[in-house]
Amino acid sequence: MSATNLSDHIPDLDLITYYAETRRSCFTVLSPWTKFSLLLLIIYVVTISRNIILLAGLYCIILVAYAGAHLPVRNLFSWYTLPVLFVLSLVGIMAWNEPGIAIITFTIAGFPFMLTDNGILLVITLLLKALIVVTYSLFFLMTTRYEHFSAMIYRIFPSPIDQIFLMAYRFLFLTLAMTGSILKAVRSRGGGLIHSIHMQGRLFAEIFALVFIRSFERSERVQKAMIARGYSGSYGTAVEVPALHMYEYVFLGICSALVITLALNDAGFGRILAL
Amino acid sequence: MTIIRTDPAGIPHCPHIDKERELIHVDCASHIYPDGSVGIHDMCFYVQKNEIVALCGPNGSGKSTLIEHLNGLLIPSEGNIAVNGRSITTGEHTNLWREVGIVFQRSDDQLFAPTVLDDVMFGPINMGMSREGARSAALEALEAVGAADLVSKLPNYLSGGQKRLVSIAGILAMKPLIIALDEPTSDLDPVHSGMIENLIFDLKQRFGISVVIATHDLDLAARIADRICLVRHGSVFAEGTPAEIFYDTVLLKETGLKPPQIVQVYLAYCQRLGIHTDYHPLTIESLMEFIDRK
Repeated sequence: MSATNLSDHIPDLDLITYYAETRRSCFTVLSPWTKFSLLLLIIYVVTISRNIILLAGLYCIILVAYAGAHLPVRNLFSWYTLPVLFVLSLVGIMAWNEPGIAIITFTIAGFPFMLTDNGILLVITLLLKALIVVTYSLFFLMTTRYEHFSAMIYRIFPSPIDQIFLMAYRFLFLTLAMTGSILKAVRSRGGGLIHSIHMQGRLFAEIFALVFIRSFERSERVQKAMIARGYSGSYGTAVEVPALHMYEYVFLGICSALVITLALNDAGFGRILAL
Repeated sequence: MTIIRTDPAGIPHCPHIDKERELIHVDCASHIYPDGSVGIHDMCFYVQKNEIVALCGPNGSGKSTLIEHLNGLLIPSEGNIAVNGRSITTGEHTNLWREVGIVFQRSDDQLFAPTVLDDVMFGPINMGMSREGARSAALEALEAVGAADLVSKLPNYLSGGQKRLVSIAGILAMKPLIIALDEPTSDLDPVHSGMIENLIFDLKQRFGISVVIATHDLDLAARIADRICLVRHGSVFAEGTPAEIFYDTVLLKETGLKPPQIVQVYLAYCQRLGIHTDYHPLTIESLMEFIDRK
């Protein structure tokens, strides 16, 4: 855990950016547009598909690509904690009493509870969907240089949304660093966010209030510095996003065709076409 | 000769200066913040073409407030400030940032763009330059400050000294007439302080830019400034050449400052030898020259 990171289970923005800026692999030479298009296709696939084999296969492919890009797999599994907890907190309720073969049954206060094979499949399916998107998003972030990422934000979003994104990303680091330095000061005197939050809840509430106030003050200073250089409502990025190579067009074409086939099959058109 | 800026009646006044060379004229300006605290009051100050002026004073004396007035970020509540002949108190301050660039004390607040190049291009683009023009102005400025290798770096990963260099490049790219630097060497290691010091010299000598520095690093001011203005309680209390100001220990004490290290060493040396001299070294070289002669 780095000094500025709250926990091993929260993605470390510094580490992500470090990998994006320094780690080189065959995936870093791909155009960011290709990786972004793939992200959209993946989101579409996980939205429409409930085929567990397809989802498991897709997850394995993405995990292999992640490891192949020399990205930190152990950290990835630690970062899974939050999405897994998120999914389980939602699906944990939905999974019960699904129609199917009962595996666990019990009764509480006269209400029967039954966990079926379909219930477990639902949990696994939704977990896979979440992990696919999380893993690919991290892969995308950690194989795309920030200058290209910011240039994409600038081109995709209209003003002032792009400005908000660009500045939020930059100042997230500073806010994390500020939080980190306050936490270091607390740790240096025997405190700790996780183990003493119950004992020192008030102290940590004060720390976060302080971070908020300092961030607010910083935003005023930043605004002043921008106005001092003639800021009038917008700023752009200098870098061009690398264009797609021919093989990337072919690759995206194939992927798109596969996704369309999958979508048609799911909609029942596959059977019609087969006729 | 040191000019004490208050007459016997305690009324502030600006000295008579050469209008041809004048770039900034602050005439008895005062600024009161919304919370009622006084930023500056009866401030009289000027900057001439091709000079380095150091505003020296303790914390809270009004140096930073004055600097923010020079760029039009703050408007005086009373008095008048004219930059390059234009009064900023009569609504003519729009676009003042084109003429006076400010390098803020905290570089992290100044560098907000995703990459170094984007940040340095920000000013030139606001000036109406094309993206290509802004890009070449930014690259030229980065080259001039010796930070050309940082062009594609993220501001998050720069050291304090590199951030300061990039902040100066961001202002230099706009080619202003005057650059005001607020505590330019605070929090920097000696190597980067030296780089900034050389750069301030360069701004004057290579680019013909007048420089105002607000600092309580009197050693720096002694080495690079042409003129020193001592600031106390929101106004310029005295001014003169570095030798005049820094060898007037009574004046410095009144302002709440200590003489630069080199002056302290020199005075202690003279006291030990029991000599009195009109020679006023301000650099190590001039001090060594004096010791050699002895």
